[in-house]
Amino acid sequence: MNAPRPYALLAEITYRCPLHCPYCSNPTRMRNNGELTTGEWGRVIREAAGLGVLQIGFSGGEPLARRDLAELIHGAREARLYTNLITSGVGLDANRARELRDAGLDSVQLSFQSDHVDLADEIAGANAHQRKLDAAANIRAAGIPLSLNFVIHRRNIDRLPQIIELTETLGAVRVELANVQFYGWAFLNRAALLPTREQVARAREVANAAKTRLTGKIDIFYVLPDYYETRPKPCLNGWGQRYLTVNPLGDVLPCPTASSAIPNLRFENVRERPLDWIWRESESFNRFRGTEWMPEPCRSCPQKEIDFGGCRCQAALLTGNAANTDPVCTLSPNRAQVDAVLRDLDQSSGHTREWTPRVNPRKAAIRPNA
Amino acid sequence: MIPDHTQPRLADGVRLEIDGTTGKGVLLFPEGIIELNETAQEIVTRCDGRPLSEIVLGLAREYDADLEMLAADVRETLADLQRRKLVKLA
Repeated sequence: MNAPRPYALLAEITYRCPLHCPYCSNPTRMRNNGELTTGEWGRVIREAAGLGVLQIGFSGGEPLARRDLAELIHGAREARLYTNLITSGVGLDANRARELRDAGLDSVQLSFQSDHVDLADEIAGANAHQRKLDAAANIRAAGIPLSLNFVIHRRNIDRLPQIIELTETLGAVRVELANVQFYGWAFLNRAALLPTREQVARAREVANAAKTRLTGKIDIFYVLPDYYETRPKPCLNGWGQRYLTVNPLGDVLPCPTASSAIPNLRFENVRERPLDWIWRESESFNRFRGTEWMPEPCRSCPQKEIDFGGCRCQAALLTGNAANTDPVCTLSPNRAQVDAVLRDLDQSSGHTREWTPRVNPRKAAIRPNA
Repeated sequence: MIPDHTQPRLADGVRLEIDGTTGKGVLLFPEGIIELNETAQEIVTRCDGRPLSEIVLGLAREYDADLEMLAADVRETLADLQRRKLVKLA
């Protein structure tokens, strides 16, 4: 199959993180031994640029946990990539912010858990909120454009007005208010995180009003909670079309959650194969590329080039088969799976449910960075 | 109408690069990529603080184009890029 060219690489450079957010999209079972070295990441970045990639996002875990982050950013700039840092901000003091700027960092996406310190720190499972406020100031002082990311879920969705107020205070140019998507830890904690239908309806109004009010000032991106939708999201703009992810261990994934959601698909590793071969030739990237793989009702659906059958990971997690239509779609024979989850929530929405905080990967020897 | 003395610059966090795959100019910004057509690329390349009048004159010399039509094109392109917050006019 002819492979298109990729535009963006998500570089998950470590799974280590000082936060314990219950909605983390990282796998619930992680290893941290054998992280790619500085030199290996340098090669991956150059190979990605050679494939056509124009943007790189440094993510994790918490990318600041890697002491060679500035070096990796510098390497990405040498390859003429646009460099984004996706961070919790913990560890981003004024010196580090300047160091990363001098290395060529183009933009920072800083995550927040809520607007208020108590709830934010409860969600993060760490005293992080004040440090994030400091990090925001350090990023702005270094002259790096600041975006904010909020993951929205049952416990913070009613605070959307205050959350939007915080983004105004912090001088962000862009804010993503993304309803939690259920992969990794979030899938495990779904019963505690899924907002109610009433909450979702109110939040949508708040977000739309803020978008109008802040036009020309802050770009607001509101990501809908897809369980409440009737058609699936156009996940990744199609499998193996525009994006690729390399995880801390060097596995190359069409989507960051694919390795945990689709365990029976074999993913290739940059230590064993060139990135170009993995992108163009590998089974994992070709399995759901294009529309040939699609079952009904997608195969004959006029939407198939619009939503690409939705999300492969969601199909795998909810129906046990990644090749099924995303069960969020009301045309899917498996939509009942999603409806059952929503019905269960309706019957118990008065309760606050416990969640399992994300834990770090097993303590194992981390190979020193070469 | 955008005045002659306006000094257009790329907005913060926006970078102009040449896409190695297509050879075309692209604007890169957080979570976004826009491919520029040839005219837009020539204009954006000159958004470095020089005034609009100078951008137009430079392009007119290079392309031997009608000054008035060119000025209208440049204004339209800049207004569009400003709307998308990729260029700031000051």
